[in-house]
Amino acid sequence: MTSHEPASPSLLGRLTGRSRPVRTSRDVVVLHDVSKRYPNGRLALRDVDLVVPEGDFVFLVGPSGAGKSTLMRLLIRDELATQGHVVVDGNDLAQLKRRAVPKVRRKIGIVFQDFKLLPRKTVWENVAFALEVTGTPRSRIRPAVDRVLALVGLTAQAEQVPNQLSGGEQQRTAIARALVHDPRIIIADEPTGNLDPVISWELIQLLLRINELGVTILMATHDAEVVTALRKRVVALEEGRIIRDELGATYHRED
Amino acid sequence: MLVFALFSIRRAWQGFWRNALMSLAATLTMVLMLTLLAGFFVLQNVLLASLSYVEQKVEVVAYIENTATQEQVDALVSQVQAMPEVASVEYVSRDQALANFRAQLQAQGRPDLTANLDQNPLYASINVKLHDPAQLNTVVSAIHDDPIVRSVINIQALVDRVLTFTGIVRTAGVVILGIVGVIVLFIIVNTIRLAVVARAEEIEIMRLVGASDAFIRWPFVFEGALVGLFGALITLGMLALAADPLSKAMVNFFNVLPIELGSVGRDTAALVLGTGLGVGVVGAWVSVRTYLIR
Repeated sequence: MTSHEPASPSLLGRLTGRSRPVRTSRDVVVLHDVSKRYPNGRLALRDVDLVVPEGDFVFLVGPSGAGKSTLMRLLIRDELATQGHVVVDGNDLAQLKRRAVPKVRRKIGIVFQDFKLLPRKTVWENVAFALEVTGTPRSRIRPAVDRVLALVGLTAQAEQVPNQLSGGEQQRTAIARALVHDPRIIIADEPTGNLDPVISWELIQLLLRINELGVTILMATHDAEVVTALRKRVVALEEGRIIRDELGATYHRED
Repeated sequence: MLVFALFSIRRAWQGFWRNALMSLAATLTMVLMLTLLAGFFVLQNVLLASLSYVEQKVEVVAYIENTATQEQVDALVSQVQAMPEVASVEYVSRDQALANFRAQLQAQGRPDLTANLDQNPLYASINVKLHDPAQLNTVVSAIHDDPIVRSVINIQALVDRVLTFTGIVRTAGVVILGIVGVIVLFIIVNTIRLAVVARAEEIEIMRLVGASDAFIRWPFVFEGALVGLFGALITLGMLALAADPLSKAMVNFFNVLPIELGSVGRDTAALVLGTGLGVGVVGAWVSVRTYLIR
């Protein structure tokens, strides 16, 4: 996928046939000359430049401590860059007022290795939670949750609580929750890290489908097999620097 | 706005009951601390009432010469009455003084020998009550120079000692109440903080899915208020049940001191309810804030 792809209507719009104003294609994520130094003095990112056009599927690879998680935390403005610009969907995060941060976060769906589901809520409630806490009226929550649960294939499990589910189902619940705000981009931090290979592949298939619906995906992973098989764009980090940024690439450098 | 308010209150209610154990712990801590606070508050009030009773007892007694005419006495009384330090003036005639003395003897069960006297040996007096016993000296010196005044009982030393004592007790009472208040505050805020920390994961998810600060904060603030309200109501219920036997015991104990405790009940209720709600809300606000500022 490239930035020259034609404009795409929103995900939920596509799912329901209800279309929103057409979005113009542009870069969803832009990092320009970004460095991040933590208060303890550790330099986690150095002079990172990264442009992710809308609709891209990007693998972020590299050893633990290379800066993958820091980069993701910068994107959701959990941390601010020490230097440089981080722009998400046209918003320069450093310029963003505190009050505007939640609105930008709603354009980003986040998926973690450890799922981060609420154990006492059902699958349905976990997904609905994301809408409730952002002030969505109840009448609009029900159809939206039903839709994303159908998309990830969890309609039958809607009333179960997380520990009744398999790891793959729990992660699909997390993806449904990430999707329910109709985000521009999904950021997944090692989403298959706790899953066995077969389940991992199912999950990757789901992410690919979501990507085909027009949602940009940025996925950090250690799973060399998946990365190499899919031949997507690969961004490799090492000691806080981008050492490789290739289209149709493999997990390891091909020399 | 309505969606927000309903959401916050519903979530507060759910949050309270979903973490029933934590909420119970917080509420019971609240009850314990509020009872402690209320106990000290009531004690403080009893103490203050007793002190002002003691201080009311301070009065200036001036004996009048037997030669004084009624006009002179009236003039003195109205002159004293006009002084700003004076609360009330009572004239006790010689006959009345004797009657009082006889009544006192009778009350004490001692033989009354006054009938054997060929004349009344007592002097008439004016008894002056003061607004503030500290002003004793001013009043005494003003009366002392009047020609019809025979003598003024000098209780300056005694009054000074009483005033020093009541002053110390008052200050100590306020200081102790203050210290107890601060301790109560810290313990309750800490308990509520624990309840919030137990939900750190939920708060983190709320932030990640883009909940605004208000949506994260207010359910917890309402929940804190709920803990405060329940704690205060339980405390007041217990106090109401205990009030009657306690006050009877107190009257028995202090039966020499007819203490005025009119508004203490209302004040205590206001203190308990106000502290409970206030600390619940502030505690929750402060605890959640830790998660919001980043």
